Amino acid sequence: MQRRQNMLPNKSSPSSSSSSSSSTANAKVMFPDKRPTTKQMKSSTLTNAAGLSSLITFTVLLLAWISGFASRLFAVIRFESIIHEFDPWFNYRATAYMVQHGFYNFLNWFDERAWYPLGRIVGGTVYPGLMITSGSIHYILHSLNIPVHIRDICVFLAPIFSGLTAISTYLLTKEIWSAGAGLFAACFIAIVPGYISRSVAGSYDNEGIAIFALQITYYLWVKSVKTGSIFWASITALSYFYMVSAWGGYVFIINLIPLHVFALLVMNRFSNRLFTSYTTFYVLGLLLSMQVPFVGFQPIRTSEHMAAGGVFGLLIFVAALRYLRTVLTKSEMKYFGGVVAVTATILLLILIALTYAGVVAPWSGRFYSLWDTGYAKIHIPIIASVSEHQPTTWFSFFFDLHILVTTFPVGLWYCIKHINDERVFVILYAISAVYFAGVMVRLMLTLTPVVCMLAGVAISKLVELYLKEEDRDDRNGTESNEESEEERERSPGRALYDKAGKLRRMKHERPKGSGDGLGANLRNGVIIGMLMLLMMFTVHCTWVTSNAYSSPSIVLASYSNDGGRAILDDFREAYYWLAQNTPNDARVMSWWDYGYQIAGMANRTTLVDNNTWNNSHIALVGKAMSSNESAAYDIMTSLDVDYVLIIFGGMIGYSGDDINKFLWMVRIAEGEHPQDIRESDYFTERGEFRVDKEGSPTLLNSLMYKLSYYRFGEVKMDYRTPHGFDRTRNAEIGNKNFQLTYLEEAYTTEHWLVRVYRVKKPAEFNRPRIPISKRVITRRANSYISKKTARRRRGFIKGRPVVIKGQKPQRRTT
Amino acid sequence: MKYKLYITLLVLFVLSLGYVTCQYRTKNNQGSSLTERVQQLMEMAMKRSVLKFNGPKFKQYIKATPRNYSIIVMFTAMAPQRQCQICRHANDEFTIVANSFRYSQVYSNKLFFVSIDFDEGSDVFQLMRLNTAPVYMHFPPKGKPKVADTMDIQRVGFAAEAIAKWIGERTDIQIRVFRPPNYSGTVAVVMLLVLIGGFLYLRRNNLDFIYNKTIWGLGALFFSLTMTSGQMWNHIRGPPFIHKSPNGNVAYIHGSSQGQFVLETYIVMVINGAVVLGMILMTEAAARKGDVKKRRIFAVIGLGLVAIFFSLLLSIFRNKAQGYPYRYVCKKYFI
Repeated sequence: MQRRQNMLPNKSSPSSSSSSSSSTANAKVMFPDKRPTTKQMKSSTLTNAAGLSSLITFTVLLLAWISGFASRLFAVIRFESIIHEFDPWFNYRATAYMVQHGFYNFLNWFDERAWYPLGRIVGGTVYPGLMITSGSIHYILHSLNIPVHIRDICVFLAPIFSGLTAISTYLLTKEIWSAGAGLFAACFIAIVPGYISRSVAGSYDNEGIAIFALQITYYLWVKSVKTGSIFWASITALSYFYMVSAWGGYVFIINLIPLHVFALLVMNRFSNRLFTSYTTFYVLGLLLSMQVPFVGFQPIRTSEHMAAGGVFGLLIFVAALRYLRTVLTKSEMKYFGGVVAVTATILLLILIALTYAGVVAPWSGRFYSLWDTGYAKIHIPIIASVSEHQPTTWFSFFFDLHILVTTFPVGLWYCIKHINDERVFVILYAISAVYFAGVMVRLMLTLTPVVCMLAGVAISKLVELYLKEEDRDDRNGTESNEESEEERERSPGRALYDKAGKLRRMKHERPKGSGDGLGANLRNGVIIGMLMLLMMFTVHCTWVTSNAYSSPSIVLASYSNDGGRAILDDFREAYYWLAQNTPNDARVMSWWDYGYQIAGMANRTTLVDNNTWNNSHIALVGKAMSSNESAAYDIMTSLDVDYVLIIFGGMIGYSGDDINKFLWMVRIAEGEHPQDIRESDYFTERGEFRVDKEGSPTLLNSLMYKLSYYRFGEVKMDYRTPHGFDRTRNAEIGNKNFQLTYLEEAYTTEHWLVRVYRVKKPAEFNRPRIPISKRVITRRANSYISKKTARRRRGFIKGRPVVIKGQKPQRRTT
Repeated sequence: MKYKLYITLLVLFVLSLGYVTCQYRTKNNQGSSLTERVQQLMEMAMKRSVLKFNGPKFKQYIKATPRNYSIIVMFTAMAPQRQCQICRHANDEFTIVANSFRYSQVYSNKLFFVSIDFDEGSDVFQLMRLNTAPVYMHFPPKGKPKVADTMDIQRVGFAAEAIAKWIGERTDIQIRVFRPPNYSGTVAVVMLLVLIGGFLYLRRNNLDFIYNKTIWGLGALFFSLTMTSGQMWNHIRGPPFIHKSPNGNVAYIHGSSQGQFVLETYIVMVINGAVVLGMILMTEAAARKGDVKKRRIFAVIGLGLVAIFFSLLLSIFRNKAQGYPYRYVCKKYFI
């Protein structure tokens, strides 16, 4: 690239020295002759290095966007354009509400259809960034008279934002290393499964836009540290505001940036640029983040945000000290060490005192479990029960990142070797993100961008070195040897401190002293090997996306041996039944996983949902599910439950059903009601969880068991298995042929996946016996009584004139 | 005279009555009434929270029928020649529970903690038909121990909290476990800090090594390799080192994608490290200026490392992911 830049302007126009101004200069000189001008222009823009590189950049980013978008469409093509899973349904419902009722009504929305009878203040308990983003897209499109349904915007929002993420990753990597590395990083992040897992079409969730916000905030931060301008720092604060409004993971930013500043201070890299950018960012960012209703006063009251404030104070202190050093004499400066220590201790003591006094909230459970890894398991079963909060195996690292997992340490290595201010940032980002990803599968998402960036650095460095043409001049070779010795002489001094742009200087020097001498075969071998690796990566990404991350989990698909596909649409069938056949204010009890879906698709009131803010309410539902029928009926009447919805996979072998989740219900219920529910009662004496005859009687009589297997004992699926054979747990059920007293089956879907039961009113069961003498039949006066009897079944027309044949009506004579 | 007769009769009667009751008592159990036994147990419990019993004492206090107290018995084998590693842990946890009960609000004479060692009371082991240790059993005040009165160590483990919860289930006495604070972590951290501080102090004239990027780089590489190979999962879940199946086969790699063994993560870590090393070697070979022959060798070694170890990693991955179709085609015949 460098050589071309030097040579080509000479060829096209000797007059212009710098490549950027060459085209304008050409235009002026060549104006009189028309045909050569165009020709000349064309060749100059195409061969001119800046134009070419921006063309390449543009093309690569566009292709990355398109391929990233396209590979996220598996679910839409295979099924249809629907919202996936659980949380997206709430986001979609909230967005639809906002589009319909306006932004301010949305902020004031009290949702009485969730958490019956408590309700939920949606406007104050939600990160509104996602809804605002898609709502404003909807608004813009509609003001341009493009009628797009809000659902389609919600479905395609995450794939579109993946392209923006790729661009912001390119920008960030360009700031940190080089444009080539940036292009690699953009291509990686466009298709890497670790990010696709949260941003396929239809997964309308906060993370989809949050990763873009995260990357752009980091880019702007690095930019502002580099330039030291208030403008960039303010833009950083603005984009931080967007991030805060979009995702709870903003805490990662507000801890990572202060960590960066702190590390720079420790490394003695303080500069006025750093001071300007951090103080501007912190003050603006703090004020802006407090404008989000859900965040409110948390930034000044919780421990998660305290580090940022502390670093702010420290930075000002260091700056003041540096200023005083210019004013005061050395002997006066002596005392300042003591002053620093005393102030720091006093501040820390005040913070601890405030924490004890309850003014500053301590770490919340979710964050605390990141440090003390055993904490959640003991204290918060509801956090431990979510599969996303489990630690990560090496398998999932490799599954989500493939070659990147082995190449990003190389990038990390070179970033440390050639360190400067902004590379400190990316190193800290990588180290902290890799730790968090190890603790929680879910945080793989924050690791993915930095892994892409560092892998981009590693691969671009390697490919750049090996793609360069070889100069076989012997003289050059000796020169290069001399120069390398020169460099070696200089290098020990350089090892102590480095300036930004060391690498660039090396690159400039290299063309002069080329003479690489590795040999064409070896170079080609390495290049082919790398290309193979990269192709493996793309193939792997597509395979993983297609197989693991593209299932809507609302519509299931099963494949038969001959490749035919059967769609199981039971969930929507059941929700549609609920929407059509139940009263509008009916209250549906289900386990919390399905709360958002019932609210979103069936539009019915739910007791608990995926926003798990009230543990005791969830425990009450868990208690109802795990107690026997009559005890459960008491709970259900106290909660005004009309319908109970359960998921049963035993018919088709669907493993994510409620019986498999049942132990978590028991555990959560036991946490709140230890005297009524005991986990050990649900195991056999040998400590097994079985649904067959040997299962514990408590389990076999629990409400969840009965509702799951009601009438299942009559079913025989094929001739090899007995009646009532559960295909998920591979067991014949132990409690067949029972009747339900307090509930009745209302609806069961085609594959028995969803079963809906109606809770009977007290009048409908177990009526007290009234002696015959006291039975009074009250009948309204004008009520119609059928005249059909057991013998006469013919119909009867009311008020029909009766014709009596063969007899004249007698006339009364006087 | 008459009075005297009456009195002698009365005295005789009382004496005979006393004799009869004494007879009765000695016949029924080894010479102590319920209140006496509780008294003795309380006295013993004042001295130590976990009572050590042998065969006769077991019969005297636990097998004796009228009881109004529960007894939690730990059957154990603490003698070194028995080689029961977990008995020591089990004993520690059991003592924690007993001490928590001893010094808590709910302390009463309704619950006693007893341990019986195999070498002191092997007859009890035979009596209870036990051939494993440790076993926790609860002897209720009335009736014989049921199945649920033996704690299921396989399922709930024997952590002090689990024992306390089980006791709460069996006896309705809720013991709040109070662990003596564990200072070993703090001590280790302080020791480490002192060591580092001392090291820095000794080397205070030559602190250049702090600026040594290679050390920092190696540290960062090691940390990220540790994390990406799933050591945190090991730390939280505590899987076995390797899996030995009953027929003597040893599995180094966990069969499913949900789990892993400790050795497996080490293997993966080494493989990842080898690939990283290969890439660094290749880059350095091209970037350095020096002896061409040496650099060529380095480049070849690097390429070989990347190719071989990446295909090895991929083959392990294929083993765990059922139906994963791809392999590193270039080295198809290697693995």
